Amino acid sequence: MDLTFTPEEQQFREHIRGWVGANLPKDISQKVHNALHLSREDIQTWAKILGKKGSLGYGWPTEFGGPGWNAVQRHLFEEECALAGAPRLLPFGPVMVAPVIMAFGTAEQQRRFLPGIASGEVWWSQGYSEPDSGSDLASLKTRAIRNGASYRVTGQKTWTTLGQYGDWIFCLVRTSTEGKPQTGISFLLIDMKSPGVTVRPIIMLDGGHEVNEVFFDDVEVPAENLIGEENKGWTYAKHLLSHERTNIADVNRAKRELERLKRIAKLEGVYDDLRFRDEIAKLEVDVIALEMMVLRVLSAQKTGKNALNIAGLLKIRGSEIQQRYTELMMLAAGPFALPLIREAMEAGWQGDQVAKDAAAFPLGATHCAPLASQYFNNRKTTIYGGSNEVQRNIVAQTLLG
Amino acid sequence: MDFDFSDEQEQLREAVHKWVGKAYTFERRRAASIAGGFDAAAWKEMADLGLTGLLAPESLGGMGLGPVEAMVTIEELGRGLVMEPLAQSLVTCAVVSAYGSPQIQNDWVPKIADGTAIVVLAYQERAARYHLDHCDSKAVQVPGGYVINGVKSLVTVGDLADAYLVSARVNSVMGLFLVERLSSGVTTRGYGTQDGARAAEVSLKNAPATLICANGLQALEHAVDIGIACTCAEAVGAMERTLEMTIEYLKTRKQFGAPIGNFQALRHRAADMKMQLELARSMSYYAALKLNAPRPERRAAMARAKYQLGVSMRFVGQQAVQLHGGIGVTDDYIVSHYFKRLTQLEMTFGDSLHHLAEVSAQMQDSAGVFA
Repeated sequence: MDLTFTPEEQQFREHIRGWVGANLPKDISQKVHNALHLSREDIQTWAKILGKKGSLGYGWPTEFGGPGWNAVQRHLFEEECALAGAPRLLPFGPVMVAPVIMAFGTAEQQRRFLPGIASGEVWWSQGYSEPDSGSDLASLKTRAIRNGASYRVTGQKTWTTLGQYGDWIFCLVRTSTEGKPQTGISFLLIDMKSPGVTVRPIIMLDGGHEVNEVFFDDVEVPAENLIGEENKGWTYAKHLLSHERTNIADVNRAKRELERLKRIAKLEGVYDDLRFRDEIAKLEVDVIALEMMVLRVLSAQKTGKNALNIAGLLKIRGSEIQQRYTELMMLAAGPFALPLIREAMEAGWQGDQVAKDAAAFPLGATHCAPLASQYFNNRKTTIYGGSNEVQRNIVAQTLLG
Repeated sequence: MDFDFSDEQEQLREAVHKWVGKAYTFERRRAASIAGGFDAAAWKEMADLGLTGLLAPESLGGMGLGPVEAMVTIEELGRGLVMEPLAQSLVTCAVVSAYGSPQIQNDWVPKIADGTAIVVLAYQERAARYHLDHCDSKAVQVPGGYVINGVKSLVTVGDLADAYLVSARVNSVMGLFLVERLSSGVTTRGYGTQDGARAAEVSLKNAPATLICANGLQALEHAVDIGIACTCAEAVGAMERTLEMTIEYLKTRKQFGAPIGNFQALRHRAADMKMQLELARSMSYYAALKLNAPRPERRAAMARAKYQLGVSMRFVGQQAVQLHGGIGVTDDYIVSHYFKRLTQLEMTFGDSLHHLAEVSAQMQDSAGVFA
């Protein structure tokens, strides 16, 4: 047992740190460090920088052009990116659809789709959830009917994150109503520019346009876009989830945000209020305990011993922590979290004319502007990706059968 | 970064596990509890396994092992609800080895290591709560040594131990001393504790003492930090077993025509208990692996670990009783004994609020890289 990283791992970390420091645009990291609005360009600029280095698919095996890093190296890469203020990488292409294409796609599909994912050029969206299929995903109804060399797809997907920018969408569709719901689902790749695809925004409680509804009205999809066999899509989708994924805990971002919380608490004069400070201290212990759980899983992955099936716990705890730091940041700002000043959530805002007269209207503290919105927005974390209640069901299943 | 146990560590765990399972039955524990809270025969058996000398240097008759071996051992004792205070021997062995003069080491470490002498910490005082620097006992230098005046509370097996490590002030500076129980001026009042074990008030009136370390606070902090890591490990073992028993009960107890483990409210509670157990286990590892870190880092780590463990053990203990229903609040059934032990462990070497205050006071501006 050893808590320290090996010299090789340390060296790897240093290397990544140096590279990220030199290549992550400062205007982007500034926005991330201050929770300011990230544009499509910001997200894609960073994805393309990584794509050029061959690190966008950093979890990919070498045979598909990935770096072939082990679990610890991937963790260190994620940590260095997070601490440096890199935008979160959207998982839909490199982490979600690519491994399915690698495992179950044809050589032609791999040639066709993987390069665009690896370079960050093609924006992928996820088409899983439907209005009536949330936690009970297998009940999904979007129909795909085979008609010669193509499918005709009709139905509706929802909660499609950043689908307004999507070039392609991978969908779970119903190709059969026979037998159990799980056995009639297929995995289909759909060009979002196809006639009959409509994307409509869902405005979230913080006013942001982050998710969408995607409608399919008799959309023609070439049958060559089917992954694997018809009616086996559920198995393919689950293949992803069967891997222990420590990044679900998002502990690296939590470490960065804990620092930001301390910074805000100091600026707002509550860092020395013991009642408030104790809440930060609790969160710090929570974050360390989460990190130790993550490291335990990584160690088990590295050595293949003492395999730990605690992905559900990581999701529950990680999401609770994300909510807690946004909550404490908002509470740190207190009443000054309440004004809704959208311009202040954009980079470069200098405060408005009224704020220049700070005594009259002390709205100049731009760090306060995004806090309430961020708090509202993060209520999603215990709901998405399998709600925390569903996660508890899964954990209980392993305990009680 | 590696959380695997070595083959030797696994063997040690297995040996302790076997002994606990075979020798330390609930009936034996209950009888020992009624008889006063200390089973001398069990102590001898643990000593024969070499456990009392786990942390003592090999040159002084110990096994020369480290924090991870101590953790593995004590986890297993915790699983079996063993109340004989092995942690005290590990702590005092380590502290005397680290801070005592060669002569004190030679006089005491071999005896602690082979279990023939029980030496325990005597540092708590009525007004000190969990603060290590609060000490009203006074030591005065006399020809050939020191004499101490004061009263120490909650001294583990204080009326049975052979000697104590006692904190006392020489003028304003707190030193750490060794005092033998059978010396003149030492009187004890023993009593049972809530968990069925034993402690005592120890009164010192001009009791002769040998100086272990003039910087007593430093030595005492070190002692308590080892104690915290041991307490964390014990709690992990006890929580693990508590959860197992609770799961078993949920699977077998039937109400409304079904095992109560079918009901989602109870299933989610079980999942929450598992969460607390795994957080606790993670932080117990963290404590063991930080025990040899430089003082400020070590202190901060122990406060963080003990805070998490305190929160976890209170939750797991309370919920185990709750999920057992009526039988959970009886003396007959073992789960209440785990609950009481866990409660006592939370309040040993500083409770959760105490350690939260420590974490809060020592909090660094930069979260950095924790590991």
